[in-house]
Amino acid sequence: MFLAIKEMLHEKLRYSLIVALIFLVSYLLIILTGLATGLANLNKAAINEWDASSIVLNSDSEGRLQQSFLSQDEVASLPNNGTRISQYSTLVKSENGLKENAQLVALDSKSFIFKKLKITSGSKNIRNNAGVVSDKFKSDGFKIGDYLLVANSSLRIKITGFTPRATLSALPVVYISPDTIQSLNKGVTNAVVFKNTLNNSKIPKGTNQLSIGSFINKLPGYSAQQLTFNFMIGFLYIIILIVISIFLYILTVQKLPNLGVLKAQGVSTQYLVLSTLFQSFIMSVIGVIIAIILGEITAITLPSEVPIVIDKSNIIVTGIGIIIMSLLGALIPIRQIAKVDPYKIIGG
Amino acid sequence: MSNLIFDSVTKIFGEGSSKYVALENINFEAESGQLILVVGPSGSGKTTFLTIAGGLQTPTNGDVKINDSTINSLSKKQQTKLRLEKIGFVLQSYNLVPFLTVEEQFKFVDKLKSQNLTEQKMHELLSDLGLLELLKKYPNQLSGGQKQRVAIARALYTDPDYILADEPTAALDTDRSMKVIELLRDLAHKRNKIIIVVTHDLRLKDMADKVYQIIDGKMTILEK
Ligand SMILES: Nc1ncnc2c1ncn2[C@@H]1O[C@H](COP(=O)(O)OP(=O)(O)OP(=O)(O)O)[C@@H](O)[C@H]1O
Ligand SMILES: [Mg+2]
Repeated sequence: MFLAIKEMLHEKLRYSLIVALIFLVSYLLIILTGLATGLANLNKAAINEWDASSIVLNSDSEGRLQQSFLSQDEVASLPNNGTRISQYSTLVKSENGLKENAQLVALDSKSFIFKKLKITSGSKNIRNNAGVVSDKFKSDGFKIGDYLLVANSSLRIKITGFTPRATLSALPVVYISPDTIQSLNKGVTNAVVFKNTLNNSKIPKGTNQLSIGSFINKLPGYSAQQLTFNFMIGFLYIIILIVISIFLYILTVQKLPNLGVLKAQGVSTQYLVLSTLFQSFIMSVIGVIIAIILGEITAITLPSEVPIVIDKSNIIVTGIGIIIMSLLGALIPIRQIAKVDPYKIIGG
Repeated sequence: MSNLIFDSVTKIFGEGSSKYVALENINFEAESGQLILVVGPSGSGKTTFLTIAGGLQTPTNGDVKINDSTINSLSKKQQTKLRLEKIGFVLQSYNLVPFLTVEEQFKFVDKLKSQNLTEQKMHELLSDLGLLELLKKYPNQLSGGQKQRVAIARALYTDPDYILADEPTAALDTDRSMKVIELLRDLAHKRNKIIIVVTHDLRLKDMADKVYQIIDGKMTILEK
């Protein structure tokens, strides 16, 4: 690709400008995808940790845990390998004044969800008003043995362990026992979570089974948020496609006479087309690499309250996406190259 | 010995009422070691003739033969390859790749085609053309005459059987035009090439071995 490289080195300014544009858009894309993933995680991380496949809620709850109340009969008629969940959102304070909005989630210590929970420090114990809490509490200054004072109640929960990735609807989770939550919600079960999908005949009247995926989509605000991000991300891909097309088109039109003469001199169309594709590829790779590096640096330097997650799959998807867009962007210029008739150039 | 033959070549553009006969029943023959001039007024069909000779256009009727094989029935790809290997084009402008130095123009040819002039022959050619001091320069740092000389060297570098030149002197003053034509004549004689130069500059005709004239698409040989 002698011609392609020589041209880029000779016309550094032009090609750097295109690289800069690709970089800026890729950077924005990486940050946006990072934020989308980060916010999605904040909403659903705890549910992912459960590793379940379905959830049974009250039919009138519209898939919302907080609005779902199951009667004792309904719960009793469901298979008993499910995990009964009671949920209560509230403000908790430590004795030395730290505050946190939290989701209290009660479940049986023999349930499959509780057995699955990972612990980063402390022990996995929720007996006698003890709680296993999200490690967000740890980063906010809470320690093992601290008491969480539940607002508007006399309940005191002792922190026995920290568990990773435990956020639900953007709030950290406090796992407690059904006995502990009794005083707050009179022991109501909000939902029953299953590791497998239940046969429809096993779902009692008045209740509704949702897959975990659609349950997540119905989390308050979740779908709207993800849709907004996906819209912006999709738009950026279109913008980069148009920008690259325009730039390459202008560059190609400027050098059409030269390309025509090269064809007359026996340079194949294929060589010229590959040359343009190669340039497009190189520019997008450079732009994307700089964007990834700066994106990572941004993610590290941003305060931890900003929920940005730049993981491998994000980087791979964005990188490949941009490179594909830049190759597509070369299609119009390639048509120009294929069409240029050396005779027209020579004939004047 | 190579040769180039036009056998009753006609080129018609358009159809019906917009039909235009650009070349009419052309018979033409050139052999190695000749500098041939094709002269004629503007719009007479000179460029059309040259592009058909180089396989850039196909004749409507008749055959073009290079070394006794017909080129107008070749595929586009084969014609491109033929141009790379057997034909050197020298045009009025755009001959050189703007972002390559003089030296790199030749290196680029090396990337496309393996058998080119040996280093020694190349050195000889460059010194004949007075280009040895210009190797590191870009085309926009050269004068018109220098550019044209580089274009000629580039065309010769692949050691083609033919050089087809369309108004190679149009950008040059009379003195320099004479020099370029002299150079082409020497190349035809010394290196045994077929060199066809299209021009409307009649002052150049004394330098040629044969002069053809095209008027309104009809070709005649001019007696000297
Ligand atoms: N693609 C085309 N379609 C229709 N007519 C054409 C086409 N190409 C050339 N012609 C016509 O054919 C005639 C010969 O054109 P050509 O370019 O060969 O002239 P020329 O002798 O090279 O002229 P000049 O000295 O001005 O370069 C002109 O009248 C031109 O209008
Ligand atoms: Mg012409």
